Amino acid sequence: MIANSPSAQASARNDLHALEAENLNVFYGAFHAVRDVDLDIRRQQITALIGPSGCGKSTVLRCFNRMNDLVPTARVEGMVLFRGQNLYAPEIDAVAVRRNIGMVFQKPNPFPKSIYENVAWGAKINGFKGDMDALVEQSLRDAALWNEVKDKLDQSGYSLSGGQQQRLCIARAIAIKPDVILMDEPCSSLDPIATLRIEDLMRELIEKSYTIVIVTHNMQQAARVADYTAFFNMREDRAGYLVEYGPTKELFTNPKNALTEDYITGRFG
Amino acid sequence: MDNDVLTPTGAFPEGESYQKFVDGRKSRGNIWLGLFMFATLIGIVALLALLLTVANDAFGYIAIQNNIDPDVLVLNYHKDRMLAMPSTRASEDDAELVAGIAPRDQAIGFFGYGWYQQAAGDLNLLSVEGTLPTAETVASREYPLARPLFVYSSDVIMREKPQVTAFLKSYLDSAGTEVQAVGYFPIDAETTTANLEEWTRASRLTETTAGGLTPPPGDVIVTGSSTVAPITQHMADLAIADGFPGAITIESVGTDAGFKRFCLEGTADIVDASRAMHPLDISACQARSRNPIEFHIGNDGLSVVTSAKNGFVTDLTREQLQQVFTEATTWNEINPVWPEKKIFRFIPGKDSGTLDFFVEGVFGSDLASQSPETLMNILAANLSAGRIRALDAESPLAGRSPEALRQLVTDNVVQPKIAKSWTLLDSILHRGEIVAEVAQMPNAELKFHSWVNYNFLVSSQSSQPEKAGIRVAILGSIWITILAMLIAVPLGIGAAIYLEEFSSHSRFDQIIETNINNLAGVPSIIYGMLGLVVFVRVLSALTSGGLFGFGDPATSNGRTIFSGALTLALLVLPLLIINAREAIRAVPRSLRDAGLALGATQLQTTWYHVLPSAMPGILTGTILSLGRVLGEVAPLIVVGVSTYIVVNPKSPFDKFTTLPAQIYQWTSRPQPEFQHLAAAAILVLLILLLALNASAIILRNRYSKRV
Repeated sequence: MIANSPSAQASARNDLHALEAENLNVFYGAFHAVRDVDLDIRRQQITALIGPSGCGKSTVLRCFNRMNDLVPTARVEGMVLFRGQNLYAPEIDAVAVRRNIGMVFQKPNPFPKSIYENVAWGAKINGFKGDMDALVEQSLRDAALWNEVKDKLDQSGYSLSGGQQQRLCIARAIAIKPDVILMDEPCSSLDPIATLRIEDLMRELIEKSYTIVIVTHNMQQAARVADYTAFFNMREDRAGYLVEYGPTKELFTNPKNALTEDYITGRFG
Repeated sequence: MDNDVLTPTGAFPEGESYQKFVDGRKSRGNIWLGLFMFATLIGIVALLALLLTVANDAFGYIAIQNNIDPDVLVLNYHKDRMLAMPSTRASEDDAELVAGIAPRDQAIGFFGYGWYQQAAGDLNLLSVEGTLPTAETVASREYPLARPLFVYSSDVIMREKPQVTAFLKSYLDSAGTEVQAVGYFPIDAETTTANLEEWTRASRLTETTAGGLTPPPGDVIVTGSSTVAPITQHMADLAIADGFPGAITIESVGTDAGFKRFCLEGTADIVDASRAMHPLDISACQARSRNPIEFHIGNDGLSVVTSAKNGFVTDLTREQLQQVFTEATTWNEINPVWPEKKIFRFIPGKDSGTLDFFVEGVFGSDLASQSPETLMNILAANLSAGRIRALDAESPLAGRSPEALRQLVTDNVVQPKIAKSWTLLDSILHRGEIVAEVAQMPNAELKFHSWVNYNFLVSSQSSQPEKAGIRVAILGSIWITILAMLIAVPLGIGAAIYLEEFSSHSRFDQIIETNINNLAGVPSIIYGMLGLVVFVRVLSALTSGGLFGFGDPATSNGRTIFSGALTLALLVLPLLIINAREAIRAVPRSLRDAGLALGATQLQTTWYHVLPSAMPGILTGTILSLGRVLGEVAPLIVVGVSTYIVVNPKSPFDKFTTLPAQIYQWTSRPQPEFQHLAAAAILVLLILLLALNASAIILRNRYSKRV
């Protein structure tokens, strides 16, 4: 099992890193989707995964909270370390992993229930014993949604706009106090203003000691929001691999790899 | 242009040829549209035809034939009691009654008003319920023993036979004054005017032409009531004295026989009637294209009299009259202040219409108005002593309600039977012929009957169609449906959840899936065989309730509601599973991801999010299955539905029948009445189905709204 208090077992090394992928390989049936990825995610930073379509960046993201388990043919090799433990060790329960590593999806997917229930449900099933109303309010405030929905908490989550729905999903994810929030292109279905709000929100969450990993197609977004950026590409056989990883400013201003430079200057992808 | 290289001229239709091309597409589309509309139309027509067929058999005329007319039964009972009283003198000769009453101060009697008038000096006319018979109180029916008198003719006769028209004219002109001459009460001037207007309308003669109407030669035949006959005779005498050239024949056959001769046989021109025509009489007449015309020509008031020497009685109520003529022996029994003198009664004889009329007015002639004692006495008089003892042993007769006693009299003495029945279509199209046919049947009454009625719903099965009902079948259907759904729905949803959400899609799971899909197509009778072998025979101890100490395994033999419900549950299980799987599959993947990403287990995600979202779809499948269970009969026949059962099912371990089984059983009977019953049961089944479906749809909509 994974200990719930991050500091209790923290070593010097994973004080710095929230997640460490070591030699990560993912297969869908016979297809080798991700090859030999080593990637350390910095604690309380925003890490952006960028790269062309099909390069495996979403697959890598979904490895971090074992969402790939849900694909019947998927197989993961290698290690993902979280608090010093391999998430893919046989004794680890995927349910416990997802309780500590939350996820926000590409399309807003609130439950077909009230706004209140959307936020409270995760806490309820995870055995939350405290003041639920306070938790819901705090989560909605943290997600910068409280002022917009405080008068209609009993209305359906679907009654909100797309951007509001996505922030509701973020509120839902942070209500259970995860260490890490994974975001799989969270703004791709939103308009520019809603996108900016989400980006501001991400910065605020970092201040509240969350670690965020975001997959994005939008290089401007990565440049705007991310502290670190990882660039993925795929080989001829379409297997994805990590090309370059470093602080965002460095990667965008002074890429070490020619492929990275080609990609960020828009020559391919 | 560059484009011309890619699209050479003529590659796309243009101008006129494009218009033709579009028109062609449109007309081809219209042909298809026509076909689709035709298909829809066929569906609607089929539905209408179904409803029409059912309604055709579920409603229509019936002829009810009583063993004995209930009115006659009651009338005879009271007449017999009156005639059996001691110191009672009955005579057909009213003069004898007058002569008997006049000299005796303790005597009482009754007869037509005419006879009182002839001996008014010797007699003392009593008021009834505080009202004396006068022209006004009789005409307004305020006096209880009053009745209107009529003559009838028809417009056709009046137009074809001028002598009849002329006779009627003189009749109506003088009726207002002349009926007094024969001892009846006259009608008022308004009624006379109304009569003459009616005559004018029917004969189509204006006041002027009528004034110049010379009586043409020809005979007039009058038939009907003996009460009215003296008036008509008097009018005929007047007419002939006035120079009426033809002969006027007057028969006294009674009102009913008179109507029959006039309407059905057509042998009379005018009918004398001491009651108005019933709608049934009118329609019987119209069936022979005789439109009866009614003339109210006078009123009859029975006079209840004592001797002029009697100084104490002036008024009697109905109850007192009943006592005087059927119970009391001395006058002080009626009223303590009256002398203790013996009552001498002088009443018209058994065959007299006057006695009938007195009984009807004083005691009432319908069963509903009779006291429990009267009903019990009627029962005692008409049933064997052994039968009475048996009924008394069931529940003491004296303790039963008047309604229950009336029902007993109806069932055991009146014994109404459906002599013949007609479909709705026949009832509408051949009404006249039906009315004529029923008029010929002795003691028969034509009624428009809805085979679906309250008694039909609450009665149990019976070999007599007029008593048969579907209570047991409805209860059986409800038991079976609820039990089968309770078994099948949780199993079906559970299996669907496993197959959709948890199955590893291994070879084993795939075999199960294929089997379930195939099972949905297995004929239902085969499920019946399965039920017979497994639930009825092998698991008899379980399905008869013996295992739980319930029921009586020796009689039910496993042919119980439980067996039936299990069999039907198996029958609809594949349907439910397939449907629930479809519904669950339609829930978007993203909803599951959302739940799982919050650290929920797969079961929690399924239970809290997938299942509620799939519920509307699952309910749709449940509605379909419900209809299937409610309507299925073949497997139940194999499992052993009871063919004749009158006891309500009280537990799942009782024998049963269901609505469709009952319908099947009735349709296989040769008597047409049972076809009507089957149609009525079908109607009930349809309504039950619609109600169940509607409630399920409402439930589903509420579910959808909440999401």
